[in-house]
Order: sequence, then C-alpha cells, then structure tokens
Amino acid sequence: MNIWPLRFRELSNGSTLFADDAGGFFRSGQGFLSRYATDDLTAADVAFLREGNHGFDCEFDLSWTSFAYRWARRQSKPQNLSYAILVPTLRCNLTCGYCQVSRAPENSRGFDWSEETLAGVLAFLSGLDGPDVKIEFQGGEPLLRIDLLEAVRDYCRGRFSNTQFVVCTNLQALDARAWAFLDAEDTFISTSFDGDRTTHERQRTHSADATDAFFQNLEAAVSRYPAGKISALPTVDVAKPPDFHALLDNFERYGIRSVYLRPINYQGFARKLDQGDNVLVRWNRLHSEFIELLIARNYQTGQFMEEYYFVQCLKRVLRLDADNHVDIRNPNFFAADYVVIDHDGKFYPTDEARMLSRIGRVDLSIGDVAAGIDRAKVALLNSGASNHFDPDCIHCVYQPFCGTDVIDDISRYGRIDVARRDTWFCGRQLSIFDKVFEILYRQDKPTRASVAAWLGVNSWSADMAPVHS
Amino acid sequence: MIPLRIKVETNADRPYVVRLRSLEAEAWDSAPTLHPSEAALKHAGPDAADYAGEGGRLRVLGIDPSKVDGDVLLVNPSRGTADRLIRSSSQHNTFLVTERCDQVCLMCSQPPKKHHFDLFPYFETAALLAPEHATIGISGGEPTLFKTELFRFLQRVLEARPDISFHVLTNGQHFDEEDLNALSHIDLGRVVWGIPLYSSDAGVHDEIVGKEGAHAQLLRNLALMCRLGAQIELRTVLMRPNADGLPGLARVIGSTLPFIRTWAVMQMENIGFGRMNWKSLFFDSSEGFELVGRSIDFVRSRGIDAWLYNFPLCTVPPEYRHLAPATISDWKRAYRVECEGCSLKEACGGFFEWHPRDHGYSRLGAVQ
Repeated sequence: MNIWPLRFRELSNGSTLFADDAGGFFRSGQGFLSRYATDDLTAADVAFLREGNHGFDCEFDLSWTSFAYRWARRQSKPQNLSYAILVPTLRCNLTCGYCQVSRAPENSRGFDWSEETLAGVLAFLSGLDGPDVKIEFQGGEPLLRIDLLEAVRDYCRGRFSNTQFVVCTNLQALDARAWAFLDAEDTFISTSFDGDRTTHERQRTHSADATDAFFQNLEAAVSRYPAGKISALPTVDVAKPPDFHALLDNFERYGIRSVYLRPINYQGFARKLDQGDNVLVRWNRLHSEFIELLIARNYQTGQFMEEYYFVQCLKRVLRLDADNHVDIRNPNFFAADYVVIDHDGKFYPTDEARMLSRIGRVDLSIGDVAAGIDRAKVALLNSGASNHFDPDCIHCVYQPFCGTDVIDDISRYGRIDVARRDTWFCGRQLSIFDKVFEILYRQDKPTRASVAAWLGVNSWSADMAPVHS
Repeated sequence: MIPLRIKVETNADRPYVVRLRSLEAEAWDSAPTLHPSEAALKHAGPDAADYAGEGGRLRVLGIDPSKVDGDVLLVNPSRGTADRLIRSSSQHNTFLVTERCDQVCLMCSQPPKKHHFDLFPYFETAALLAPEHATIGISGGEPTLFKTELFRFLQRVLEARPDISFHVLTNGQHFDEEDLNALSHIDLGRVVWGIPLYSSDAGVHDEIVGKEGAHAQLLRNLALMCRLGAQIELRTVLMRPNADGLPGLARVIGSTLPFIRTWAVMQMENIGFGRMNWKSLFFDSSEGFELVGRSIDFVRSRGIDAWLYNFPLCTVPPEYRHLAPATISDWKRAYRVECEGCSLKEACGGFFEWHPRDHGYSRLGAVQ
C-alpha cells in the first residue's frame, strides 16, 4: 500500500495527532510516529491505515478515488456572487470604543449614499445571476437611512425570486417605519449585545438611558418575532471580559442559543485600544474557558448552547464541505460569492478590508459601482488566498481544516508574507483546533453530550474519533 | 393490499401500453385531445368500466375507475390482464426489468428466475406517460444484466422528460470502463443508484450475496461511480451475519465512501429467500438498536446522510424516529393489530404485508 503523507502535532496530553492532506485524521503515539518515519510499519499499522483510507494500492482504485474526492470536497469552490453587504450610511447614533469602522457622527454630512450611488448599487445588483440574493445592511447604523433600505429591498424583491435581508442594527432607535421594515418575513435582525448590562453600557451605550432603550427594543423584538429572526453577538475585550455565566443566561433568555464570541477586531477605533500584553494568549485562554463553561452548563441544564465559530471548526474537521465561515475556507477567494459596497459606492472584498481602508492605512477597495469590480486587484489579493503552498502551513496538521486571512495579515503586519506561525490568525486557529481535537477525544459525559448536540447527532462515543494504539 | 394486476377485456391482439383517463368533469366536445397512448372512460358500471382510444377498446374489471384514473397499464390481451406499471396516485412505481440475477442473496425478497422477456420498449412508452415530476423505480433481478438496453432507456426517457427521475436498484457488479461513454450521455443528476453493501468484510458480504469476489468487484465499481459523479444510495439490510459489523462498515463509509448520497440501513422483508432464512437472519433491532444508532450517528457526524428504512417507528428509540421515514411501498404495507390507537401511525411505514405474526420484534406496540 502507498501511504499518503501524514502531518503530525503533539497534543496537550502527550499523544500525537496525525492527518493526511484530505483531512483524514487519527491519534496515535511516538511509537507509530517512529515506525512511520523510518518506514517500519507493522501489519497492524498498515491495516489501520487502510481502514482509515490513508493509502492506496493503485491509481483509480477505490481508496485513491475516494482520497481524491475527499481532498477536492474540502476545497472551496468559487460560487456565484449572490450576497452583498451594503453600507448605505456610515453615520451612527452610538460611539462604541471598539468600533471597527470608525463610524461618522449621526449628524455629519457626506457619509450616505447619494442618489447616483443608490442607482449604481441597484444596477450592480441587477447584474447578479440569481435566482437567490442575500443582502446584509451594515453601517454605521443602517436604519438611519431606512429609505435606502426600502429602495434596495423593493428592487430585490422584484428582481430575484428568493430574497433574504439582514439588518445589522444597534437596536437603539426604532420608529414605526423601522418596525414595519423589520416585520417582513424575509428580513432578519443582527445586533450586538455584549453579554451583560454593565459591559454593554461600558463598551457601547455609555448611558443608562441608552442602555434602557437597547434592552427595551431587544425585548420588544424577541416578543414580537419568532425564534431564528434575531441573532446577536458579543464583542469581547480581553482585558475586561463580561461575566460569561450572565452572558449565556441572557442570550438564552432572548432565545439565542448560538453565541459568536468575537474578539475586538484590530481595525478602526479599536487600533487605539490598549488591551495589554499577550492579547492572543489571553484571548485563546478566555475562549477555551468559555467552551468549558458551555460544556458544563449544557450538561447541567440539558439546554444546549454553542459558540458559533468553535462549532464551525468542529464540523470542518469532521465534514468535507463545512466551510461556511470565511476563516476556514480554503482557498478563500475574494469577491467570489460576496462583496461589500461602502457608503461612497466603493467595492471591498470584506468588511475588514473596508475598515482597514477607512483608516487610510492601505486602499483595499476593488472598484466601485460606477466602474465595476477591479478584477486585476482581486486577482492580486487572491494570490495569497490559499494555504496550500504556505511554507508553514504545508507542515501543519491542521492545514486541511484551516483557511487564510490576508486582510488580517495586512492589517496587523502591513504585509502578507509574515511567517505564518507569528500571525494572530495562525495563533488563534491553532488554539481553536487544539481545543477541537481535545474535546473530540475526551471521554467524559458532559463533553460527549455537547459534541453530539453541536454535530446534530444523538450520541458521540469514544470510538468515533479514530485512535491507533 | 393494492392490486398491481387487474383483469381486463380488449379487442387488441398484442400487448400495448395505455394511460387511462376518466375525463369525468369534462364534456366530450371540449375534452382535451387524447394522446395516442391514452384511452378515455366512456362508461362506468358496477362491475366494469369501458375505455376507448386509438389503441382500441378496453374494459377494466373489478376496480373503480376513480382508482385507476391516470394509471399507465401494460395490457396483455391473451391473458386478459393488465399490469399497472404506473399508478398515478402513488410514489412507489417500479419497473421490474428482469428476474435474472447473478447473485443469490440470503434474504432476497424476489428470488431470481432464468427466463427473461425484454419489456424495455413498453417501459419507455410508460415512462413517457408518467405524471409530472415522477420518480420511477427500476428493479429486478439485476437490471444491469441488460445494461445496454437500460442505459439507452434511461438516456432516451431523461432527454424526453426533463421533469422525471429514476431510482435504479442494482448490485453494482456490471459497470465497467467501457460503460463510461454510455453513462456520460445520461443525466446522472436525475438517477439514484441503490446499491447494496452488507459489510466492510469481503467474506461476510460475499457470503450474504452468494458470490465469491462480489465485494471486490463492487468496490472497484463504486470507484467508477464516484468518478462519474453518480448519486449512490448505499443499502445495507440489517441481519444477524452483518449486524455486529455495522459500526465497522460505518467507519469505512466515513473514510472511503464519503461520496455516497445516502446510507440506508434496512430491515428485512419476510418473503422469498427472506422467509426461508428468516430464523437465522432476522436481527431484532428493537432489542439491539444501540449498534445501529451508533453507526448512524457516526456516519451523520461526518456529514453523510444516513436513514433507517423499513423500521416500524415503535421499534426505534424516540430520538431516532425522525430518521425512519415510511419507506415500505404502499402496495405491500400493512399495520398489525398492535398498531391500533398508535399516535405515530400516520408517519409510520408499518410492516410488510407478509411480516410474520409470531416472529420478529420483541418490543412492539402502539405508541401513545
């Protein structure tokens, strides 16, 4: 049998994790590693590798074909452009200290779409293939220009057979027109809720009255709409994290069982924040503690909640096509299935790229609604959008499951060729995948119950993650 | 049980395919033009209904015309019978293309026979008359023993009817590289191939299908099907000889067969060889469900669909019942006295008509 190359990494319990290029993985020890490295495999080793499909006898046999299939399915294919993040205004009625986009004051001028820009946006949308379209309204606070939201929604409903709209709103000021807009079945709400009242007020609202307004609107929305209509995510300052127990209680109270624990992003106003030393290490520890809290709480209550990104990574390890989140998409082609259109009509490949350009560090715009998408610039960005040939990633056991984040690299280091292991992205991904494999191999009942729930199966038992002894 | 063969009288002298139409609500003057292969109801009496069309006159006996409206029949004048090839109100229409087979499976519900009549021309006419968006089953025997005719049939019907699709039951033994050209002309996005694999252990599989080397041949052909992008429903009938190996098979599906569309773990049917070997084969999954559940969970955790076919819902733990659709075909489905008052009856596929009363599940009964 020809064995496909295996990468390996020592896990925290001293065992060694192995994975092939197609994401087939197993846990073993130094003994197997030594036999593998010296080409001295036993019959039992070969039998194990054969059952796990880590090798083949000849080209086009079932093992070879299946391996090729698994590898191919793990790659992200360019999709039809069907998702647009629109920023009709950069103005906002809050002044969050960590604002990623350096929003403009509510009463300022020149930060909204002009009539020409609106016409350009609609013309751009008219050129999408359809039949589905998803529009996410970002800001600023998009509801400050509900007229523009209405114009886009009306147009899309006439142009596409399946439409979905997400309003990313701070829920601070909702008048009758805003509620009427949000009432539509094809329209969803995404908001920020930083976990508990104290943290939310410190980081976002800055006054008791504004905090009251937020909670009143959130509670009104929860009572008004069915489950699944509202999503919320907390932005966490590693220096002053919220009380995670309270955070989970509050999210559950509002019917939100999936929590995307988001660190303060290194763009916009946030660059000026002092989060102290070793932010990455502290963040990873915090995140790991949150996962442990979730596991214990889920087992205790029988009501299963999840950390969104962690579960995405968990599924990415076990499944071939679980790459909904861009950070685990490989290659992560830009302006492929979604694009951002800013308040001035410029295209950006991601929201982070928009933020980065806003502070003047680098222009990552890729055209505008008048001239169209600058494909040459997109191609340039795409040259760094794969981890296949990165000199560090090619040795990493997590490469088949991981992605890239060129924009984050540019943001932090001003270049995309920093040694991967020295980047924030890599440090965060390594830590999360370490945690994923730790819990996949844990035997305790609480962990197994949460893993099963997160994977959507009835049970997760010890033998479901392969081990070669 | 729903009759699949009905008595008829006809003035035709050779077999033909006809679709019955009642047109009850329409006056003859304004009735839509009949297809050359259609016959319209002219008179309905208490014991017989008379139809007429280009193919001649046809009298259907012993069944209410409303129950056969839209049905496509293969009329056999010499026998005075008609096979209901397509029942318009059913989701379970299957063409039995041959009774020959090269395997002798221990639990075969339809043991193979030597004779064969080529009915493909009739099947093609019938398929073209199928209701919109129908899925038509192709079964045997082993249909791919006549793969030249089968592939040509699939290609022609799929080209002519972009709305319909096929589900082909095959043992997967007879595909080879030389078929790639013929298969490339078939819209494989509308064909699901139901292929049995009983074990990851070649010896166990070969013993069950009664053919040495069948397992190895099947794996070779599954690779070929993967390269073609064929949609495969992998079918594993659960029996005593292979039950213990189910978790091992699940692992191999995860590692080596992730390209399948569905894995179906199936309960046995007590007919044919299945009846003869029932005592030594039937696995009481109502008692030993743990290894079934674990296997299903493993495969589903890998993002591969896995389902339970032909499992009465009361024999399945509540948390797995959503994975047990009502798969027993309507014409061979029955409910037992124990089912009376069961709250799950609507969603349950029940039992095979011929399921023995004194054998089988130890845990059975109405769910309140």
